[in-house]
Amino acid sequence: MLQITGDGSARTCDGLTRRDFLQVGALGALGMTLPRWQALRAAGAVAPENDRSCILIFNLGAPSQIDTFDPKPDAPLEIRGPFRPIKTSSPDIQVTEILPLHAKLADKFSLVRSMFHTAAAVHDTGHQMMQTGRLFQGGLITPHAGCALSYLKGRRSDLPAHVVLPEPMGNTGGGLPHGQDAGFLGKAHDPFALMADPSKPNFKVPDLLPPDSLGEARLDRRRKLRSVVDDAVKVFEASENAQLLDENFQSAFRLMTSKDARDAFELSKESQSVRERYGMSRFGQCCLLARRLIESGVRFVTINTFITVFDEITWDIHGSKPFTSIEGMRDIVAPMYDQAYSALIEDLDQRGMLPNTLVGCVSEFGRTPRINPAGGRDHWPQCWTTYFAGGGIQGGRVVGRSDEIGAYPAERPVEPSEVVATVFHSLGLNLEQTIPGPQSRPFPLVDFGVHEIKELF
Amino acid sequence: MLFRLRFRALSVAAATALAPLGALAAGELGILPRELNLFAREFPQRLLVEEFEGGRAVGQVRDGVTFESSDPSVVRVEDGQAYAVANGRAKIIARAGSRTAAIEVKVEGLEKPFRWSFRTHVESVLTRAGCNSGACHGAAAGKNGFKLSLRGYDPAGDFAVLTRQALGRRVVPSDPGRSLVLTKPSGLIPHKGGKRFEAGSREYEVLAQWIAAGTPAPRADDARVESVEILPAKAFLRPGGKQDLVVIAHLSDGRSEDVTRWTKLAGTNASVLQIDENGTVTVLGSGEGAVTAWYQSRIAVARVTVPFETQVPREAFALHSSRSEIDRIVATKLQELNIPPSPACTDAEFIRRSTIDTLGILPTPAEVKTFLADASPDKRDRWIEALLARPEYQDYWAYKWSDLLLVNSEKLRSPALWSFYTWIRNQVAANTPWDRFVRAIVTAKGSTLENGAANFFVLHEDPTDMAETTSLAFLGMSVGCARCHNHPMEKWTNDQYYAFANLFARVRAKDGAGDGHRTIYIADSGDLVQPLRGRPQPPRPLDGEAIASDADTGDRREALAEWLCSAGNPLFARSITNRVWANFLGVGLVENVDDLRATNPPSNDELLAAASRILVESGFDLKALQREILRSETYQRSSQPLPGNAADRRFYSRYYPRRIMAEALLDAISQVTSVPTDFPGYPAGWRALQLPDSNVASYFLKSFGRAERHLTCECERTATPSMSQALHISNGDTLNQKLSAAGNRIDRMQKDGLSDAQVIEEAYLAALSRPPTPEQEAKLLQLLAVGPAERRQAIEDLFWSLLSSKEFLFNH
Repeated sequence: MLQITGDGSARTCDGLTRRDFLQVGALGALGMTLPRWQALRAAGAVAPENDRSCILIFNLGAPSQIDTFDPKPDAPLEIRGPFRPIKTSSPDIQVTEILPLHAKLADKFSLVRSMFHTAAAVHDTGHQMMQTGRLFQGGLITPHAGCALSYLKGRRSDLPAHVVLPEPMGNTGGGLPHGQDAGFLGKAHDPFALMADPSKPNFKVPDLLPPDSLGEARLDRRRKLRSVVDDAVKVFEASENAQLLDENFQSAFRLMTSKDARDAFELSKESQSVRERYGMSRFGQCCLLARRLIESGVRFVTINTFITVFDEITWDIHGSKPFTSIEGMRDIVAPMYDQAYSALIEDLDQRGMLPNTLVGCVSEFGRTPRINPAGGRDHWPQCWTTYFAGGGIQGGRVVGRSDEIGAYPAERPVEPSEVVATVFHSLGLNLEQTIPGPQSRPFPLVDFGVHEIKELF
Repeated sequence: MLFRLRFRALSVAAATALAPLGALAAGELGILPRELNLFAREFPQRLLVEEFEGGRAVGQVRDGVTFESSDPSVVRVEDGQAYAVANGRAKIIARAGSRTAAIEVKVEGLEKPFRWSFRTHVESVLTRAGCNSGACHGAAAGKNGFKLSLRGYDPAGDFAVLTRQALGRRVVPSDPGRSLVLTKPSGLIPHKGGKRFEAGSREYEVLAQWIAAGTPAPRADDARVESVEILPAKAFLRPGGKQDLVVIAHLSDGRSEDVTRWTKLAGTNASVLQIDENGTVTVLGSGEGAVTAWYQSRIAVARVTVPFETQVPREAFALHSSRSEIDRIVATKLQELNIPPSPACTDAEFIRRSTIDTLGILPTPAEVKTFLADASPDKRDRWIEALLARPEYQDYWAYKWSDLLLVNSEKLRSPALWSFYTWIRNQVAANTPWDRFVRAIVTAKGSTLENGAANFFVLHEDPTDMAETTSLAFLGMSVGCARCHNHPMEKWTNDQYYAFANLFARVRAKDGAGDGHRTIYIADSGDLVQPLRGRPQPPRPLDGEAIASDADTGDRREALAEWLCSAGNPLFARSITNRVWANFLGVGLVENVDDLRATNPPSNDELLAAASRILVESGFDLKALQREILRSETYQRSSQPLPGNAADRRFYSRYYPRRIMAEALLDAISQVTSVPTDFPGYPAGWRALQLPDSNVASYFLKSFGRAERHLTCECERTATPSMSQALHISNGDTLNQKLSAAGNRIDRMQKDGLSDAQVIEEAYLAALSRPPTPEQEAKLLQLLAVGPAERRQAIEDLFWSLLSSKEFLFNH
């Protein structure tokens, strides 16, 4: 494993230490070469400890805890389900047989098996709580953790601070907001949504580059003309959306004129073998893209594993249409997910990025311990599992415990607000600070008394 | 009166902020409630001492108040609470400094023995203590084997659970202190839910006494809560001020009780006020907030108005060209809040804004020139009449109602889709009154190809879905929560939900011959069973009249339509009025427009009522309402803020600029460049607003926030700018292809030999509906001064700059 060392004593002429030189050799497997590594270091993309990045994988639809990370082999058949537990690289962790690649990496991630919430068991409430730390109430729209980070630390490069892949969450039936934007912090801190599928051939960021017919001279003239035309300032003085439009144009300009920023999205720069290691699924390629974006200075990448639960094969295994069956999860979702996640963790690890990149895997609730008449499992916010790797998290641990049938936390119940606090803690943010709330009143970043899950660190 | 006082105070106090309330001379002291009836020693009444000015509550007097009873053998006051002592009459006098106030008190009914009622008191205690909340024993599965109905909507069921289950240990009449329902929540024995009340507290005592009385069961003839009131119902306060609230429940047997302690209170505007669990409001900022009270499924709303601190001379509120009640009511509200209105918009702003809001298109350069040159005083009124008569009106409003009715090829086969869309469009063309429009939809039957409205029942296939959609679309109300339990924020009960849904229980569909052909018909029998009770509820439209069982033949939806589309159904008129209002003013009187809840009051109730009345009195003629709105001074205000109104987002002190909706924007770009957009499967020249289907592939429309038509929710459509949109405008195909297309407006202008100045003028008139300012023209002429080889591209770039400007992209 490559480690980011402090300045070593002995250096070669180009500034490399002996240790760097020895350890880089292991990186060849994932296509890393020495000059690229140096470049990344120099660009600050491999960031020091108090300036970590985060990849938040939102397993929309909600995986069944019993069928994945919290097997109950001793429970009756109608509870334990069809999958057997398997051993992993960590003595304390067992996962089910549908996640074999996870099993090999269990020393890298840690589980929290005692998640619960008490809000309505629709998807949208879980989306809000797991991404903003709070349920939206009284018209208060709290910001996504990545947006709070964007507000507090700004961007690190020409890329936006927070990117959502492949696009924001869509219809999950609740009709409520999902908590994937900046809420009361203002739309200026909304994430950049890719709005494209990186697994498609000829993938590119929509409209990232001007058409060939527009050279530098024309682009320059356009900007000059626009600044003459767009001077009706007074009318828009009090319009937030108008200010936002201006900011969007500035951000867009920054993005399109920075070659490094544009290259970050260039998946064709990865070898085909690397792309295939992640899997050519939309989720797999989003994971690969996330890694590239973090390397190029994006602070926070949110990956929506799925966008909707309707008419697609997702984690939402109610067992009947338009939702997914347990077999659908076993045959399609789990292998895709297993492959992509394991590729991401291995890749980050080999590049030395794991200590400074938190990879959080969250979902909106768990699933019923008892299998339903349709052979599936329904929503169950009373107990489920989330897990984390990197970003200061010590791997191979289990925090909390569910009861014998995975129905309720038996030990160390954990609420969504603590998950978000954990993300902030890993990112080096002071939990007790405030951000400007509605009417610019100070609003606590994290509610009083809520702490990070200390047992993970 | 208030403003005369303020005005005098202003002229005296000169440049400084308004003097604190206490220093104003003419405040009167008053006690709330204004008159007091007490019926039980167990229910004291909290007294509030208020300052009044001109009949308005302007602040609570919290310190230095003493109370005195004129006859302590009838009523006594302790700690600000009035306690009944014996039947009789008395007065209570409050003293604050040198001022006094008094109220009459009548105590009666004390000769009857007092009983804690399970239905209204015990259930309220369980609700207050959180026992039956969704997080605890009110959860679908209960907790630890103990399940109560959510917020006590099922007293009979809860009674059985408490007295019959758990081997009778939950309540122990022979030794109440040992009842689990007391020992656990008071912390005497371990309780996962923690300590919910102290031993000896009021909640504890209510339960203990009820148990000691032998746990009397709820009875059919129990007094029930008929209404609740909050006091003060309306208050004018200052930032930093505190105001206690009291909530009084009025029961069916004529009694009233102070139930503040057991009421769920919530504030609706977090930037204006905050409320704590004791019912104390703290005012945080200027604006208007409301506090809603929920008690036993009854709701009351209190309004808190916090005027802004700027000094605004009275003349600023004078109306100049008003002919309508709308303007008068808006001006009154602005005056109350001290928010100065912006002046009138320019003619150029008016013609562009009204055309976009009514037709979804831009006025042409010729129309703009004619309008700007027209000197007649009534030109705006005549333009409005012209708009309402134009064919594009049908495109725009048919599109809006198609959004509402979810006309989408994902769910409807093409012939059915066209049938539904064409039906909607024909109604708009005929200006069918809204009540007839909705009636035709909710009672539709027959072939979905011959009767387009019948497709409503293809999109919504089961009675609960039909009921919920009908309520959302035509009442702006979500009743879905009541499907499982009484609605936590509204007055609808589970019984009412199933009675309502049962109206749709006999609607059936059978497949016909051909694509998309189904026949909607009514079955002779069939009822929707209510899971809670295991039997159907008699069909009944929400709070309307139930259908008598001997009248229950034929189509129950007729009774629904009678109730729904009636001029006497305030929600029906208010909901559509709010939607139309939001279309023109950008912000609804109720926001979100599909969230007309009792606990989500309008920003200006009088205005919504007045505008609804206009609609109803016109016979639900939408154009009549639209005309009134367009002609109003309120609509025709400038969007330029004044220092005192920049923070206003709800009270219409100015027009609120907003990004033009996706379809209208795409059409506008086509209109300015004279290059129509190509929609696969549609003939050339078809505009986006003419599309019957939200499922037509278009990156532009998706990226700019088109409604997907999956959910009946205005929230599907967004107008927020994003970086993807900025990238698309800068680099995307939509603009660039139209700018460089052969035969577009630029080509035509070159062929016509227009000079640079003429090109600039036409470009401005087309895109911004105004000529350039002299400064802008001078600078642009310089930038366009290029050789002939480059001229075309330079003009393209000019158009690009206009089409990417805020002034173009926004309606302002």
